[in-house]
This record gives sequence, structure tokens and C-alpha cells, in this order.
Amino acid sequence: MEIYICCIQDVSVGMAAIAEPKSMTRAKQWSDEVEEAYRFQLAGYRDAIEYQIIQKKDIDRWPHNGYVKKLQRKDGCFYYFDKTRECPEKDINKCKLYVY
Amino acid sequence: MSLFETRPDNSKKSFGYGKKTPPTEVKGKNAFTTMAYMKNAKPSLEQVGKPQAAGAFKPRPAGPTAFRKFYERGDFPIALEHDTKGNKIAWKVEIEKLDYHHYLPLFFDGLCETTHPYEFFARQGVHDMLEHGGSKILPVIPQLIIPIKNALNMRNIQVMCTTLKVLQHLVISADMVGEALVPYYRQILPILNIFKNYNLNSGDGIDYSQQKRENIGDLIQETLEAFERHGGEDAFINIKYMVPTYESCMLN
Repeated sequence: MEIYICCIQDVSVGMAAIAEPKSMTRAKQWSDEVEEAYRFQLAGYRDAIEYQIIQKKDIDRWPHNGYVKKLQRKDGCFYYFDKTRECPEKDINKCKLYVY
Repeated sequence: MSLFETRPDNSKKSFGYGKKTPPTEVKGKNAFTTMAYMKNAKPSLEQVGKPQAAGAFKPRPAGPTAFRKFYERGDFPIALEHDTKGNKIAWKVEIEKLDYHHYLPLFFDGLCETTHPYEFFARQGVHDMLEHGGSKILPVIPQLIIPIKNALNMRNIQVMCTTLKVLQHLVISADMVGEALVPYYRQILPILNIFKNYNLNSGDGIDYSQQKRENIGDLIQETLEAFERHGGEDAFINIKYMVPTYESCMLN
């Protein structure tokens, strides 16, 4: 039993360690990664890793380009995203790109 | 002056500097009226003025919409947000689980709205539902025609712009939607025919509505081309029937 608990603790510690980013840069120009970060940060998450830790489910993506399609916010509401670019030019520098 | 006329009649005197009476009132007789056809009426502009405008381009008011009623009653599964991220709707329910037969016509009904927040929620709601509706859109098409027709019939430039963009989105939202719209051209296209050449002649000035994609004439041309591209083989002849000045974008 004790071993089992230890394993769980190890896993949670490991997840937390993975979840903490080492550094952050701000986007300078638009790219697919910036678009990805923009969509997650609009919904209130840091990025896909944090989303999957909190929501514990797969991310809905558009099949043709892999952009995020649907996200659930922390309050349970849903955000739906378009097939094409959504991040406007004025919001590019607000997007944070995290490095783990 | 008779016995009873003790007060001078000042009612016809104008006291305001900027007040101008409309030209039709000054002229007295409107063209094509019985008075204008009488013998002593001279056909010069002093006596017989211009005919009254028929009002084909005049905006018409819309009554209260069902969308507004439902929104105020809180019937829509959308969350209200008052923050700066104002270009998205937070849905309380997944769109895939919504009853399209109920909600899509209601959101289309809201296209007649011109005030915030109704206008925003209607526009964005329609956008999200069309983007993520897939095969659920096609069976609802017949229920969308009357709201579309009402919105276009308002002849309000802002409403028409939104509706035309929605129509362009609608025809590409799912397979066969363009074809399904062909029988309803008679309801949709008359207003497009009226406004097809509604472009600003600004000489060599800059028409900023072109940049903002709010130029009615251009939007109508784009919409008709989208109808033709996605409407199948009968689309062009049906468009031509309702909008005689339209030229095909595919045959030439």
C-alpha cells in the first residue's frame, strides 16, 4: 500500500515538474506555434500541456491543419475556434511561448 | 382685415436660421398627382416639383426580434462576458449537442439587430454554429429563409453587410447547402438586385469601405459569385432571372 502511494506521489511530482516551464519568450511574428499559444491563452491556459493536465482530455483539432478547434475553459464554458488564423496582428506580442 | 382676425398670422414665418422646408413642400404640386395634371399647372419646376422618391434605398425599421426576447430571457446557452476579449462567445453547452432546428433560425433572426449586445451575439453565434455545424445545417435551410429575407429587407447598410457575409459563409459551411438555396433565390435576391450597383462614386478619392469590406456593391457581387460556384448547374440561370445584370463568373 505504501509503495502504491509513493508511486502516485512520484507521478504527481513528475507532472508538476513537467508542467513548470523553464523560460518564456514573447512572439515577434505570427506562426503556427503563435496561433496555438494564442488559442490556449485566450481560453485561460498556458499551453496544451497545462490544458491536458487540468482538463484530462484530448484536444479537439481541425483535421486539415491541426489548429485547435474547441477548448473548455476552467469555468466549464466552451470556446470554438475557426479553421483559419484567428490571432490578429495586434495580439501577436501578447502571446507567450513557453519552453520546458 | 376682417373683424375676427385680430392676431397677425405668424405661423408661416420662419424663425430658425438653419431650418429649411423640404423642396417638395415648397413646390406645392408633386409630379404625377391630379393637381399636376390640371390645365393651369405649368410643367416648370416652379409649379410642378419632382415626384416623391419611391424609397427603394430607404432603410426600414425592424420590429422587435424573437432573438432579443430569448436573449433577455436567458434562453441561449451562452455566457455573458464583459471583458476586453470581446470577439468570442463562451458556450455553456457544446455546439454539437445543440438543437439546430431551434437555435439556428433564432440566431439568424437576430441579424436584424443593430445594437450591442444583440448584434454581436447574433453575428458571432451564427458564425460559430455555421463553422461547427457540418451536416446539421442542411436540414435547417428552409427555416433560415424568412430571417434572411427580413434582414435584407431592412435595407440598413450595416445589417446588409453582416447578412451578406453570413450568406457567403452559409454556402460554404456544408455540402449541398448552396444547391439547397437555389429554390429560395426568389426570396433572397430581389434586394441584392436593388443594391447591386450601390457603390460610392468618390472620383479618385479613397473609399474606405472597400478596405473594411463594407462596400455593399462589392459584397453583393462576391455573394452572387459564391452562390453560382456552390449552387450547382441551375444556379446561374436562376440568379440571372432575379438579377438580370449579373454576369457569370464561371462560364466566361
